[in-house]
Amino acid sequence: MNNPDEMPARIAAFLAEQEPEWRDIEVVAYEVMTGGYSRLLGKAHVRHAEGEEVLVLRGDPPPGRALVDTDRAQEFEVITTVSDHGVRTPRTRYFDDAGQHLGTRALVIEFTASDSFLAYASSGGSLEGLNIKLADALASYHRLPVALLPARLERPADWNTYIGHRIDEWRRTADAHVEDLPILRYVAAWLDAHRPPEVPLTLIHGDLQSANLMLAPDGHFEILDWELASIGDPREDIGYFKAVAQIAPPDLLDDAGVMGFCDRYRELTGLNEAQVNPVTVAYFLILGVVGTVRRLLEGGAAYSRDENTLLASLFNLNSVVFGSGVWIDASKQLEPILAAMKGAM
Amino acid sequence: MLSKPTSDQMIIGIARDLREQVLPHLTDQPAVVVMGMIDQILRNLSVRVANEIEWMHREVAAIAAVAGRDPGSPQSLQLQHVVEWYGSVSRWLSAGIEAAYATGDQAEINKWRALIEARSAHEQAIMGSLDLVGRG
Repeated sequence: MNNPDEMPARIAAFLAEQEPEWRDIEVVAYEVMTGGYSRLLGKAHVRHAEGEEVLVLRGDPPPGRALVDTDRAQEFEVITTVSDHGVRTPRTRYFDDAGQHLGTRALVIEFTASDSFLAYASSGGSLEGLNIKLADALASYHRLPVALLPARLERPADWNTYIGHRIDEWRRTADAHVEDLPILRYVAAWLDAHRPPEVPLTLIHGDLQSANLMLAPDGHFEILDWELASIGDPREDIGYFKAVAQIAPPDLLDDAGVMGFCDRYRELTGLNEAQVNPVTVAYFLILGVVGTVRRLLEGGAAYSRDENTLLASLFNLNSVVFGSGVWIDASKQLEPILAAMKGAM
Repeated sequence: MLSKPTSDQMIIGIARDLREQVLPHLTDQPAVVVMGMIDQILRNLSVRVANEIEWMHREVAAIAAVAGRDPGSPQSLQLQHVVEWYGSVSRWLSAGIEAAYATGDQAEINKWRALIEARSAHEQAIMGSLDLVGRG
């Protein structure tokens, strides 16, 4: 997919098979896209006798070059399900399951002409009211009944088992690493000591951050990149968003935005004030990143063992270091608040 | 051996040349992203090589004091030996912080947490500022 000389012919042949009624298919432009660390991305402008299309290809990197291993078939099914149920996300069009046409296992989705939220924000675009739109976007898929979701998504037994498993993931990550990681042990112990109230488990995005948001002309967010979707605690997405925003602003859930966000999110999901509030958002700022932390550390460990030579494996360790400072600060700030809340109950 | 320019000086010099002399000539976007990553990693390394042996010794002494145990000494000052010694004493810190939370004793928690904060401070100093090149 990174070969712009080869891809137009491959795409044209693939589309001819997928859309037999299209005549005179021509890929008039193809460009390799950046924007993510995990998948190959390409954009194709396609012209045919019946019209024009702009499509985005998301494919697996060659063996040994993938930072994280995720399932394109699951991603395809999740995107199809959420877009069929009103979630704003570019729709899936095709899936080259075996990779025989596109050179690698890849899904093809519609290109969105909406603005990158990060680009919009960094160019000084107004952030007013976007905390509310963020609540709308999150609630749009957190409200979907679990029964509607693809069967290949694992269903946890119950919230307590699930959250205990997520907390233990910090310990398992430390166990699996190439050296002892006391900061991860600290985080696990702290999270265990301060568990929040239970909520129903839902579809979670798993990588909900500003870089995966597009801003449509009507002011609503579109959500990209569902490869890490799973069933979990919906507050993980909220906390994860805030965690990444500490590295890559803007933070729509800062002191000015978090209350409005929580109000709107509770209104849309039916959760109560004990379940969703600035303190639980901060708790999940820590817990919500464990999957990413594990994957990033696995990359660093593999590099250390000479099992990979990916520069990104080294580079991404800085995100873990940055996160460590955030987790420690947040845990210290939350402790007296949690103690006061416990005393008031 | 020639000890000057020091390793950290050379590394930061290489990073500067890549940034100023190579990066402006790159037009391929994935290559620009890779160069941004290399620049940050080299800047991290320049801080790390200058300080890591000293910082690991300091952390070990502080952990041993709280644990009330004798950490001994590394086999030599070679980096690999110091890293192994540091790793073995780090396990005392992991066990200490988990045990403190298990008892719920706030004074114990604070004592062990101070060591966690000291470790994090060194990691932050190595990282400097973080720029997620290539995102968005």
